[in-house]
Amino acid sequence: MAAVFLIVSAVLYFLYHLIPGDPVKAELANFVKENKNLTAEQIEAEKQAITVRLGLDQPLPLRYIRWITGLFTGNLGYSQSYRQPVAQVITAPMQNTVILNLMSVVLALSLTIPLGIACAVKKDSVFDRVTQIVTMVGYGVPVYIIALLFIYVFAVVLRWFPVSGMNTPGAEFSSVSGWLLDRIKYMALPLLVMTAGSLGGMTRYVRTAMVDALGQDYIRTARAKGLPERAVIFSHAWRNALLPVIALIISWFLGIFGGSLIIENIFGLNGVGKLLYDALMQKDYELVLAAQMFYVVISLAGNLFLDLIYGVVDPRIRVAK
Amino acid sequence: MKMRRYVVLFLMAAAMVSVTGCSRKNNGNPPFLDKNVKGQIIIGSTTQMSGDWETVWTNNGADSDVLRLISGYDTVAQTKDGELIWDKTVVKLAIEKTNEDGSKTFTFVLNDGLYWNDATEVTAKDYLWFYAVFANKERAAAFGLSGNAGKDYVGHDAYYDGSAPVFAGLRLLGDRRFSVTVAAEKLPYYYDKLMVSLTPYPMHVWLPEGTELLDAGDGIYLGGNVTAEDIRETVKAARWNSENRVSCGPYVLKSFDKSAAMAVLEANPYYLGNYEGKRPEIAKIFYIKLESETQLDMLKTGEVDLISGMAEGVEINAALDMVETGGFEAVSYERNGYGKLLFVCDFGPTQFVEVRRAIAYLLNREEFASQFCQGYGTVVNGPYGLAMPMYKAAKEELDERLNAYSYSQEKAVEELERGGWIYGVDGGPYQSGLRYKEVSGKEMLGYEDKIISLPDGRNLMPLAIEWLSSENNPISELLDIMLVKGEAAAAAGVRINRTTVQFAELQNWVMRDVSQGVQYEIPTYNMFNLASDFSAYYDQSYQWTQDENLIAYGYNVQRLSDPELDRLSMDMVYGVEPGDEKGYQKIWVDYIARYNELLPELPLYSNTYYDVFRDKIRGYEVNSLWKTVDAILYCTVEE
Repeated sequence: MAAVFLIVSAVLYFLYHLIPGDPVKAELANFVKENKNLTAEQIEAEKQAITVRLGLDQPLPLRYIRWITGLFTGNLGYSQSYRQPVAQVITAPMQNTVILNLMSVVLALSLTIPLGIACAVKKDSVFDRVTQIVTMVGYGVPVYIIALLFIYVFAVVLRWFPVSGMNTPGAEFSSVSGWLLDRIKYMALPLLVMTAGSLGGMTRYVRTAMVDALGQDYIRTARAKGLPERAVIFSHAWRNALLPVIALIISWFLGIFGGSLIIENIFGLNGVGKLLYDALMQKDYELVLAAQMFYVVISLAGNLFLDLIYGVVDPRIRVAK
Repeated sequence: MKMRRYVVLFLMAAAMVSVTGCSRKNNGNPPFLDKNVKGQIIIGSTTQMSGDWETVWTNNGADSDVLRLISGYDTVAQTKDGELIWDKTVVKLAIEKTNEDGSKTFTFVLNDGLYWNDATEVTAKDYLWFYAVFANKERAAAFGLSGNAGKDYVGHDAYYDGSAPVFAGLRLLGDRRFSVTVAAEKLPYYYDKLMVSLTPYPMHVWLPEGTELLDAGDGIYLGGNVTAEDIRETVKAARWNSENRVSCGPYVLKSFDKSAAMAVLEANPYYLGNYEGKRPEIAKIFYIKLESETQLDMLKTGEVDLISGMAEGVEINAALDMVETGGFEAVSYERNGYGKLLFVCDFGPTQFVEVRRAIAYLLNREEFASQFCQGYGTVVNGPYGLAMPMYKAAKEELDERLNAYSYSQEKAVEELERGGWIYGVDGGPYQSGLRYKEVSGKEMLGYEDKIISLPDGRNLMPLAIEWLSSENNPISELLDIMLVKGEAAAAAGVRINRTTVQFAELQNWVMRDVSQGVQYEIPTYNMFNLASDFSAYYDQSYQWTQDENLIAYGYNVQRLSDPELDRLSMDMVYGVEPGDEKGYQKIWVDYIARYNELLPELPLYSNTYYDVFRDKIRGYEVNSLWKTVDAILYCTVEE
């Protein structure tokens, strides 16, 4: 995994440095705009100073080594657009993105798994058909539209939740629970939207996996042995349906990290997706690299987690035992 | 012996200046714990705050708004009408003196009672130390600065490169007295007060204890050998501090939650007032980040109280609907800028003024402005905003002198014929289709691949214009419909080819920025759609320079070669004495008229901005020069 991390980091670093663009010139342009009456020598001197300051007087491999060493010591580089160390820029968005996505995953799974199982068990019933239609609609409507719809209904009309933001301006809390409730109030709507956006796909996938598992011979055997239906569903069918679902959950989990940009934008959440987009637009490559590496780490951690969880769910995969 | 006496005298003088400059505390209560200061408001902005408040490091609009709310006591203030004046709340005495060498010295005496919000007195040192530290090349570079602090002052260059130990143009003359000498070669300058608009920074916060700012009679310097490393920690802490930040403006930054993108500000009880002595009456301000899609919903639900600078017609209409239903108010002001078509004047058809003028006639700008701005904007005929005092003063004269280029296909054809666009593709007289012009070898440079060479030796340039537009831009789409796909251009014998790219890509082509790719070096496009905005101080110097060094960094991107326009742009600020309003106004009008005649750009529209707010805010008045952060001082809140 460490090797994969290093290879990916090197590829990303060199790729970003292949993109045409000169950060020295970008900074120099500001300097020249701010300072009239400059001589050619003064401009050249400033150019040299900026080159040295940005470390661009060093060869690319050496710069990579410095960057990757810095990465391990918490020095992620310097953001040209924010004019701050990248670590300082990225910390708050990273926290927000991780919290939002983790909570969204937990909420979505706690709804979609029981719903998918129920649909599979009551296959072709009215409940199943209605759920199929609703999830199909949810699957087809873009999350942007869901967000605007939810804002209008839950924030503007019903006033249950705030439209946007992270906490109540000026609110002073005497207890941690008060602060927590306020945070939850602000996170609720984006969470509902993210969950609603992912209900369709995940529910249908769980249902399909369960329908498939419930049709297997071992289920018929279990039922023939007189096992209670609850045990058949959860101990036998669900455990076997879980394997493909886990693979999907992990890739979906990684996908929502990348795709939370829309949610972050609409709900005014200061997240990594939005930061990455802005940094790309401003050609702020050190910041882009740091945000990309965040996704790389999430992906690697996701894959590691997937391997571990496979081992837990499926005894055949446990190599060590 | 004599030498020893001088040394002793020098040390005594230095010690005196040093001792009298020690920070003094106000040990009593804050002077303005006013019971009338009450209520709170939430101001929203669509720009993300970074938490780096100092404008020397950042140019972020939202950061700058917060900084302006917490900053104060500059030597110079801008009034509501955009006039530059000595801030009488700050400056007891401002003495101007022209020296024999042509330089100009401004001596300032500060008023009593100026305090930072930590009860420390604001002294002359607070106005000067920043230059002593950051006008030095090494120290500036260590903090990512250019070292241009005080670049207009005598002795800057020598102090910058270390060849002089003192900054001669800045003098520490006492606890509340200091002077600034502007170099002769930078004068005259019409906005000379801007050159000596000094902002205080709390020296006791930014520099380590014991750091001394001294003056032995020939300029300021730092006592001891102060390196960047010596001050790195205190500068870093002061720069990034967002909790009870030491400041002297109307508000104090109490906290900044970056995660929630919210800054909390409270009225500063030590603040003496702005240039009119006005102190804040709203106790607390929350400055938050908004999303454009939901900002009006937030206003409706009370999550934000004030949104400023709305420009899109659809949003403005929605906001005005809210005003009609009650509970909200709106104020409008003219934009101090304009949208435009920028022409490239050194190659292809747009190098000829007749073509630029013909395009102006072929676009119905009244209709364009009406459709784009939806009634919230109007056409301008030069590089100005409708709110500019110069424009207001010269409106009648400009109406007479400026060509409005009213939509007229006939006039466009007249211009083209006058410019020699009288041939058809075969070199015969123009009948229909695309027009051609016989061009010289010099005129066809950069356009050779499109030139038709006839057997009789004539070279014909087609009237085909390459337009580069930015994507996802409603202005581009409207221009496409009205100019490219409109019948007038084709009927006049003009063809406009549109290419669409991202805005950053468009900028590379405008700048011909070879550092971004070799392709940008080759002149390819004749026309771009862009916009310009102005500050309160209209300085267009170097805008039409022929200096390639400056052109490479964004000046004269139109590549217009016109010594007259260049001269006017320079004379307007560098050829007029401060206070000579008539002299400035005359050159300004001549400049606008010359621009209007040459049309290096075709101004398209100037918007009207709207600020919308909940009616609990009273007394909110803004204009294009007096923005929310200025106006808020005059507001009250009625809960």
